[in-house]
Amino acid sequence: MSYAEHFQDMEKGIGLAHAIAEADRCLLCYDAPCSEACPAETDPATFIRKLRLRNITGAIRTIKENNILGGACGVLCPTSQLCEKECSATGISRPIEIGNIQRFLVEYGWQSGFRVFEKPEVTKEKVAVVGSGPAGLSCAAELAKEGYQVTVFAERGEPGGMIRFGVPAYRFDKKFLKNELQDLYDLGVEVLCNEKIEGSEGAEKLLADGFAAVFLSPGVWGTPRLIPNAENIKGVVTYPEFLVGLREERFEEFGKQVMGKTVAVIGGGSVAMDCIESASKLGARDVYLVYRRSFAQMPAEEDERLAALRLGIHFLLLNQPVDYLTDSGGKVTGMKLIRTQLGDPDDSGRRKPIEIKGSEWVLNVDFVVEAIGQIPDKTVDWSSAVRVDKKGLIVADSETGKTSNGRIFAGGDIVRGPGLVVEAVQDGKLAARAIAKALAKA
Amino acid sequence: MTAKNIDLSVDFAGVKFKNPFLLSSSPVSNSAEMVAKSFEAGWGGVVYKTLASGRWPIIHPSPRMNPYHHGSTRMVGLQNVEQISDRPLKDNLLDILYLKKNYPDHPVIASVMGFSTEDWQYVAKAAEDNGADMLELNFSCPHMTIEGSGHKVGQATALLEGFTEAVKKVVKIPVMAKMTPNITDITEPAVFAKKGGADAISAVNTFRGISEIGRDDWVPKPNIFGVGAESGYSGPAIKPIALHFIADMAKCKDLGLPLSAIGGIETWVDVLEYLLVGATTIQVTTGIIHYGYRIVEDMAEGLRDYMASKGIDKVADLIGKALPNLQETDHFDLERQGRAEYNYEICVGCGQCYIVCNDAAGQALEWDAEKRRPKLIEDKCLSCMICSFVCPVPDLITFKEMRKDWQRKETAIMDPGLEKELKYQPFEEVDLRR
Repeated sequence: MSYAEHFQDMEKGIGLAHAIAEADRCLLCYDAPCSEACPAETDPATFIRKLRLRNITGAIRTIKENNILGGACGVLCPTSQLCEKECSATGISRPIEIGNIQRFLVEYGWQSGFRVFEKPEVTKEKVAVVGSGPAGLSCAAELAKEGYQVTVFAERGEPGGMIRFGVPAYRFDKKFLKNELQDLYDLGVEVLCNEKIEGSEGAEKLLADGFAAVFLSPGVWGTPRLIPNAENIKGVVTYPEFLVGLREERFEEFGKQVMGKTVAVIGGGSVAMDCIESASKLGARDVYLVYRRSFAQMPAEEDERLAALRLGIHFLLLNQPVDYLTDSGGKVTGMKLIRTQLGDPDDSGRRKPIEIKGSEWVLNVDFVVEAIGQIPDKTVDWSSAVRVDKKGLIVADSETGKTSNGRIFAGGDIVRGPGLVVEAVQDGKLAARAIAKALAKA
Repeated sequence: MTAKNIDLSVDFAGVKFKNPFLLSSSPVSNSAEMVAKSFEAGWGGVVYKTLASGRWPIIHPSPRMNPYHHGSTRMVGLQNVEQISDRPLKDNLLDILYLKKNYPDHPVIASVMGFSTEDWQYVAKAAEDNGADMLELNFSCPHMTIEGSGHKVGQATALLEGFTEAVKKVVKIPVMAKMTPNITDITEPAVFAKKGGADAISAVNTFRGISEIGRDDWVPKPNIFGVGAESGYSGPAIKPIALHFIADMAKCKDLGLPLSAIGGIETWVDVLEYLLVGATTIQVTTGIIHYGYRIVEDMAEGLRDYMASKGIDKVADLIGKALPNLQETDHFDLERQGRAEYNYEICVGCGQCYIVCNDAAGQALEWDAEKRRPKLIEDKCLSCMICSFVCPVPDLITFKEMRKDWQRKETAIMDPGLEKELKYQPFEEVDLRR
């Protein structure tokens, strides 16, 4: 069977007529709250006004000059929690579809052949960017515009990081990313693939090799394990193994294990939602979501949770996995769960699940995906080059990305833990400004 | 009074119409098949697409129309290079016979055009002989490709009077003359038509316009294989101007003929406004090109309900009722002044009022950035009311008359210190003979 049709392409965005209708509905606020609400300084008030006044190329320029990943943010941003949440038009009817307009404009630019960027003249030092996700690409673009010679080191075979390998293709596909990357290449940024920078030693080598500064944005690709030694059980995988595997188009491998089978996904965040939808699209007969707290406490966005319900996912709430059952061949056959009850709030402010003694039961499963958190990759150690906290996250200033090492900056998930694309973009921008300032002084 | 008791019928130049809603002479009235469908939908009558003698072939340019869109609002204007009917006269006459046979209570007004006196008389007679209830003389098509026809006649008052007279000589049915708006004072040709014997006036035909120019080839649209032309522009965009032409004719004491109004009509509100400035019937094309014949249902229902709410039971009681209130600007009472009044309770905080007041009016608004709300400095308000035009919330900003002792603040000068450099004397003190 062809998995491509389920996985390769995301849904089409809105068209010109829809975008213009939305721009017509915009109240063109004096002090637009949408523009105040974006973590990455996106200015919807300006690009929507430009669209309204038929200055489409100007609108595209407004988006892209601020955010090299303006298209990706238009697609992936939880806009209902950010710009659209603040929209004044809500007082009339409903928020303007800001994310949709943004995506439309960026794609319209690609389709019409309008290029925002010209290659700037390289007049300044070499800077290395470690990691090719949103933070790294954003930092690289800003530095290139300032005349720095930027090289991005991508760990995998293609750049993009989380938006290439962590987000399912049906939410953000390769074609879209390719177009967005072309805008970056227009700026003269060099991207080297399959170049994993191995921790502190690697970073220091870059400095020794003539890079004046290094920006670290490798992301967080590790995950805690729920049950010790589960890595040897066949049919139990972690979310990066599952999602990255699918983005590497290893459909046959996962299809065999999932199609027509019973799948359980453990976790309650956005990543767990991606895993259940992916399992469902792979043809699983039943998909269970196992979560130890209640529906209202899941970290995933409400839209995502409701979408999962509509997909027919079975929500097993207030259940804590305690062990896996396997057959003689070491393959998972079931999951032992214990029911929980909510107690008093814990540190996160959410009520803590308390196991109900003697309530263990077994859910028969053929395949399990653990999606219980994103932590730094334990095999990579940055601690001798820069200060690292207990969780393994790099300690960096949130306004500048400055680390304990004057020539090393950091941003994105490796600093803040798992965050939004738009937040990583802003980290990259802020770090680029700080790097330029630091190098100008030097 | 309920809407059921409302009588929408009108007597127009001696012809009875069940309602004042007519198709105008255009593509929407091109054949009996189309017109019959419109009668079924509720239209009261038709001005059938212009007939000619057939001595000159009529060939339509291709393409023949172009829209003027505004934002996501489609077709606020429409440009066309439509010609008069390109069907054989005989076919059109057969279709008129059909309509009269099958819809005897729906008047058919035959629009006619000629290229010489004999031509005019020939077509007019043919239309009357085949059942037309009335004629409309097309003196106003702004883009006829045949010289000496269309609006060029409408601008040449002697020709217009002569052709009207010639037609009147050969027919007994009422004759209406259709005016072009491509003229400064529309009452002038209208009065000449009256002298020629016209029984009614219809207006306005389309305005000469340019709806759009190709941005790649710089050819105005519709682009007829590399050539554009100034031609008939119509639709809601021209309604305010057309309304003024009707009002001018209604007020003209020398004219005194019943009027059939045309120009951007889509809704019962448009109809009402034309009635109030003196029209007895109205004609529609662009509205039908945009929405189809079905719009007549909303015109009739809306007008009936409005009349019921006002206790008016016949259309005649609305005709010309706004005219006494329509005066030259020197009739204004300048003693009475007012300002904008804000209902902050329902404000959504967009601040468009603040922007326009500061950039285009009296700088009478301040902005409370904390609350994201405007604040009116009442004595700076010029009462232009543009804030209310951009406000997305209905009735948030209204006009309020102020007491006689209310004073508006004068606009401040930027730098009174510049007075010593000023070269100025009040007008009375300047001696220009020096």
